[in-house]
Amino acid sequence: MPVFRFILQRVLQAVLVTLVVTLFVAFAVRLTGDPAVMLTSESSSVTPEDLNRIREALGLNQPFHMQYFDFIRSLVTFDLGNSFFRGSIRDLIGIALPSTLLLALASMGISILISIPLGIHAALHKGGISDQVIRVLSLVGLSFPNFWLGIMFVLLFSIAFPILPASGFESWSALILPATTIGIILTATNVRLVRTQMLETLSAQYVMVARAKGLNERAVIYKHALRNAAIAIVTFLGLQFGNLIGGLVVVELVFNWPGMGTLSIEAIAQRDYPLLQATVSILAIMIVAVNLAVDLVYGLIDPRIRVA
Amino acid sequence: MQQASSSNAPLLSVRDLSVDFGHGPSAARVVDGVSFDLHHDRTLAIVGESGSGKSITSLAILGLLKHLGGRVAGGEIRFHSDVLGRDVDLGQLSERDLRKVRGNEIAMIFQEPMTSLNPVYSIGSQMVETLALHQDLSRRDARRKAMEFLDLVRLPHVGRLLDSYPHQLSGGMRQRVMIAMALCCQPKVLIADEPTTALDVTIQAQILHIIRDLQAEMRTSVIFISHDMGVVSEMADDVLVMRASKPIEAGPVTEVLSRPAMPYTRALLAAVPRIGSMTGTTMPRLFAIPGQKTAPDAVPAKPVDRSKPVLEIEDLTVRFDIRGGLMSRVTHRVHAAEKVSFDIYPGETLALVGESGSGKSTVGKTIQQLQEPVSGAMRFHGQDIFSLPAEDRKAFRKQTQYVFQDPYGSLNPRKPVGESLIEPAWVHGLVTSRAEAREKVADLLVKVGLPAEHAGRYPHQFSGGQRQRLCIARALACDPSLIIADEAVSALDVSVQAQVVNLLMKLQAEQGLSYLFITHDMAVVERISHRVAVMYLGQIVEIGTRQQIFENPQHPYTRRLLSAVPVLDPGVRRSRPPLEGEIASGMRAVGDEPAPIEFVAIGDGHFVAAHAQ
Repeated sequence: MPVFRFILQRVLQAVLVTLVVTLFVAFAVRLTGDPAVMLTSESSSVTPEDLNRIREALGLNQPFHMQYFDFIRSLVTFDLGNSFFRGSIRDLIGIALPSTLLLALASMGISILISIPLGIHAALHKGGISDQVIRVLSLVGLSFPNFWLGIMFVLLFSIAFPILPASGFESWSALILPATTIGIILTATNVRLVRTQMLETLSAQYVMVARAKGLNERAVIYKHALRNAAIAIVTFLGLQFGNLIGGLVVVELVFNWPGMGTLSIEAIAQRDYPLLQATVSILAIMIVAVNLAVDLVYGLIDPRIRVA
Repeated sequence: MQQASSSNAPLLSVRDLSVDFGHGPSAARVVDGVSFDLHHDRTLAIVGESGSGKSITSLAILGLLKHLGGRVAGGEIRFHSDVLGRDVDLGQLSERDLRKVRGNEIAMIFQEPMTSLNPVYSIGSQMVETLALHQDLSRRDARRKAMEFLDLVRLPHVGRLLDSYPHQLSGGMRQRVMIAMALCCQPKVLIADEPTTALDVTIQAQILHIIRDLQAEMRTSVIFISHDMGVVSEMADDVLVMRASKPIEAGPVTEVLSRPAMPYTRALLAAVPRIGSMTGTTMPRLFAIPGQKTAPDAVPAKPVDRSKPVLEIEDLTVRFDIRGGLMSRVTHRVHAAEKVSFDIYPGETLALVGESGSGKSTVGKTIQQLQEPVSGAMRFHGQDIFSLPAEDRKAFRKQTQYVFQDPYGSLNPRKPVGESLIEPAWVHGLVTSRAEAREKVADLLVKVGLPAEHAGRYPHQFSGGQRQRLCIARALACDPSLIIADEAVSALDVSVQAQVVNLLMKLQAEQGLSYLFITHDMAVVERISHRVAVMYLGQIVEIGTRQQIFENPQHPYTRRLLSAVPVLDPGVRRSRPPLEGEIASGMRAVGDEPAPIEFVAIGDGHFVAAHAQ
């Protein structure tokens, strides 16, 4: 019963957040100006009647709440209509969303694979040379702008030593550079997080109890300490996903990655507001969904949430 | 070495053990030249105050020092290991071999039951883990054996318990799980590091009883680490007294406790409040502090003037809502205080005693107006406080001051103590200029026995006892007529505790202060209080003068509290009936309100709940 209540609560919260975010997106997009005027700004012979016809065709002369309602309906049915210039939005997103998800997961995976062992190592050798080195490197990583790191990688691995493709997504090897770029940026913060969380759990009484039972250090660290540290780490990774999407937009552009970031930037550049509204909303829904997933995973790790 | 198995040779023999923390010239010696023998079937108590090195000694035996940054710097720890099949020096043993001994031949129970169990694993998986490690058992057999040991520590519903998580259990239950876990591999040596310090007194009695029973049953030798001479007297066969990393005195318990050779041991013993030491007296009396001239009767025992009370509490009721269900409706209420009534007179100490969850702190916080009551009246010098508008209430707040249990947490670490001390007086406009403030701070410090020039120091530069003195000084800054001391001496070492209690009594005599002394410690209560109110599940079940409560307790709960206190009577193992069960909770379903307690007068001012009759 408490489990269902917990899940239901979180799902309802996620739905509410999604509604608020989409409302905000729909409103903000309309603040940028009249789409009908923007659409026709290139041509010189536009009459007010033309503009009105365009508005009518786009449903822009309806009250805002009707437009918003239509927008929500289009999101729910995934019948997203057409972009101004590029045809079906559903088709565009159908291509962009999987590549973005792939890139996001690959970056997170790289970051987790690096930061958990390094963070644990630093915590176990607190104050030692390796701890210092890890901390300095993570500070250096934090100070890199992500686009700069991406460009450096391209210069190094695609131009100086042409072993990896510099842009696009024609082969799986094209995933390596963008994913590593974002992965390294994420690692810089994650390593510090893992280190502090592990330091905290390693000093807990139950860790000493585990040692006093005769368990070896591996079981003490990975079974007893890490699982407790994971509670905070998982929460943080969920929150980080929002930043990750932000970073993704820039890095996708650097590597010309055919993802949601590139698609939104192009939509902005072309003032393609139906496309913009759809991409931004879907990115937001993704972040909400990931955080919902994190909440549910959190319940799995921590029995204090699961069992009342 | 052949006689290792004979019962004359010690099971564990520590010789000249030294432990260092840190390296090189900055290394600190935390244990210095400790030697002792632990014999078969016996309990050795290592006694000392905080920082004496007693816990570090026990961690050295298990080879766990390096995780804290310490190491064995000298001496040896001889132990015959059956698993390894030879005599070993635990201080020099490889980590691999140590792991075979730990939890298997030498097991340990720690002080903090609330944090000793891993919160993310079920009780069963944590016990099975230990069993699987040291014994060749199938999962099913390991579970069965875990249940068997949970049953031995008298935990109910052991099958269901295996699948429970630590947060679902109370502190006493968790400590019993720890004991079961420590004993499940039938170790030859059990190290118990202050296993009952964090627990309520009746639960402490249960745990001590269980340890003693199982020790006899399983023929385990015990190293019992404690600061409490009363507990030591009940548990130990042999005693080692430690002070400032060094062993001071050692011997059989009867000898050390009845004929202590060293002044420090005598001081420790003298500081143990003994229930019954006040029999026949009516007034509070100072603790005798060895090495100090203060005669026990230095404080003139003025009879309390019972014409006009400082504080009258009438039918005070405080409840906390528990919400549940999908709509977050109030389904249960914690009845923290239920129709509590009492008076406190000028210059009087009323002790409010009870165990965790009895509601005693809630009553204190409500009087300090940190908590809103559901109903009830509070009159201060005859003035009804709760009926006043909020602004007028503030004026009364300065007349009552609160001293908390934790002196570390209640002083701002970034402010010189002088500033913290004078802050309430500024807030209430009692001092207006800097010069006046300085003078007042100096005055307050002297009053609580600290040098006036310490005003510029920071909290971390003081010891625990001194910090509690500072908190008392701060409470005095507003010239209150009532001080609420909430477990104010519970976290202090016994010798320091005695001094702080004496200070409170002196201040009372000098300034006619009234105290509401909230505590679970019956021994301190006997010294300091004029009258005692016993709380159980939010209700006062018995109230009377100190003499009436201690010499003629009527309510079963009062008797249970008194009998649970360990008695300093070395060698005498009281065969008290094992107290079963947990402290009940004051949580009730909405609508299920407790029946108001009817009181019966037993003597002059001595009332007891009618249901006890």
